[in-house]
Amino acid sequence: MTALSRRHLLGAAMAGAALPWNAAQAQAAMTAAVYPGGWDEALRAVLAPRLREAHNINVAFEPLFAVDQIAKARAARGNPPFDVFVLDPGPRVSGIDLGLFEAFDPTKLSNRAQLPNGYSDAHGAAVAAQVVGIAYNPTKVAKPKGWADLFKPEYASKLGLTGFQTTFGTISLIEMAEVFGGSETNVEPLFAELRKIKDQVAAVAAPAAMPGLFQQGQIDLMYTNTYTVTLLRSRGVNIDFAVPETGAAAFVTTMHIAKGSRNLDSAYKYIDTMISQPVQTTLAAEPFFFVPVNTGVTPGADVPMRSISEITNFVSHDWTKINPLRAQWIARFNREMAR
Amino acid sequence: MAEGGIWRLALPLAVAQMLFFAAPLLLLAATSVATDENLRDWSLRAWRDTLGDGFHIESVLNTLRLGALTVLATALLAVPLALVHLVAGPALRRVILIAAVLPLLTSVVVRTFAWIVILGREGVINATLIGMGVVTAPVPLLQTEHGLIIALTQIEMPLMLLPLLAALARIDPALLDASASLGGSLARTLWKVVLPMALPGLIAGATLVFASASTAFISQGVIGGGRLNYLPALVWQNAMVVFDWPLAAAMAITLMGSVLMVAGALSLLGQRASHA
Repeated sequence: MTALSRRHLLGAAMAGAALPWNAAQAQAAMTAAVYPGGWDEALRAVLAPRLREAHNINVAFEPLFAVDQIAKARAARGNPPFDVFVLDPGPRVSGIDLGLFEAFDPTKLSNRAQLPNGYSDAHGAAVAAQVVGIAYNPTKVAKPKGWADLFKPEYASKLGLTGFQTTFGTISLIEMAEVFGGSETNVEPLFAELRKIKDQVAAVAAPAAMPGLFQQGQIDLMYTNTYTVTLLRSRGVNIDFAVPETGAAAFVTTMHIAKGSRNLDSAYKYIDTMISQPVQTTLAAEPFFFVPVNTGVTPGADVPMRSISEITNFVSHDWTKINPLRAQWIARFNREMAR
Repeated sequence: MAEGGIWRLALPLAVAQMLFFAAPLLLLAATSVATDENLRDWSLRAWRDTLGDGFHIESVLNTLRLGALTVLATALLAVPLALVHLVAGPALRRVILIAAVLPLLTSVVVRTFAWIVILGREGVINATLIGMGVVTAPVPLLQTEHGLIIALTQIEMPLMLLPLLAALARIDPALLDASASLGGSLARTLWKVVLPMALPGLIAGATLVFASASTAFISQGVIGGGRLNYLPALVWQNAMVVFDWPLAAAMAITLMGSVLMVAGALSLLGQRASHA
């Protein structure tokens, strides 16, 4: 009798304890990969609360660089550690080639009409743009006119070089190759020029180390995106963005749903909320400085365009051609730069 | 408890090690002799690329030299400090010990980035040298091997100092008095009594510093930069950016093998020393 009542009591207590648990279960949960640093801060501060309010979805973030997302999804072999990827063009093409994404249905995005044509497709949707050019310290060097200037002695000795392991690095180096007579698939002329300046350049470093080297005055010139320029300036660094005479290069960052995701519905809502006007407006402003893809949002002052629809005027690259060559370029850059 | 009982206590750790260390290691070895990461077919291509390529061999040698030079630098600085610790009073001893442990309490990333501020073209060292009129143009320190060794010496110092202090602490002070009363000079006492007894600590420290400095991925990349090539960065690049897992695996095994060989040689030396 006592045992029975105790059991009843216990059962009642457990049911009571379970109540808030059940209520919490009505809330959907998902995991999204996000670039560490600025992206992580921005999406946690802006996108996550918005998603919770609008759709009652709780998102957990996993901070990973693009290449780490691909490597992790690949190693997981069909059991993705997150539901949504965020990638630059190079890793995006790798992801498509490796079959890491669910087929994407753009009609599930209520905000897709506010994206430029072609910004959502069968693989995913663009969520931010990046504009790449030359960053320089206006108190130390004159504004460079174009890519070729970086190879002049007065600039080269203050230049920071980074290789083909990132999207912005790869397209900057391709742009330089083109100035010297190369192309998207031929960077040989670039290596010939690099060989001449490699002993003078101020630094050859990992992409992630570049902003720190610039801030410390080790380098006064680098190739980077407008986002990094605005961010460093907001932290008191003397830095300006120069659009090369051959034009700034632009590309988009895209989101994709991981193959095998069990939270498809939440994943679509996450991407849809990301491209919505209120989120894109907040992300384009201080302190986040994203380049918006929503045509209804005006990009920040450092971005040399007034609307994302102008992006078609920028230099763009075909990553299906670049990707197969990239491995050998990366290895080549290591060897060419070695002391 | 029966004789076998004591072994059973170690069983959970042994199982965990088998599952999470030995098995992935075998997988790594298998990947290095495969054509791709799905292990569809066998090939020695990755090993030919690793060991038959001048650039990669040079990277291996660079990596080992970096470890060796860091060991040398940390030992040269740690031994005198450990001797001061030996003869110091309790208050000073505590200060030395805290100073030795303190760097371990900050993340290696923070310590590495702090070195950019110190070694940079406009960093503390160059500003001081130029300010004193010693040099007119900044001395290149960042992105050089010697700059990297300076930074690693500070970063790895606790790993050398702590085993050394532990070894010296076991020396009975009466032994020093005995040596002195038998007419041994200070230098002779140091050479014949203190150093031999400190040797196991020195060797343990050297092993730790060597393994840690030669695999210090972050410091090598941030301080050393892209013109110095070390194996850890090449492993990362091939695994994560190039997606050549067999090559990354072969390089990882090469790195592990060469570090283990040096560590093994050092520990052999340590056994000799302690039996002598």
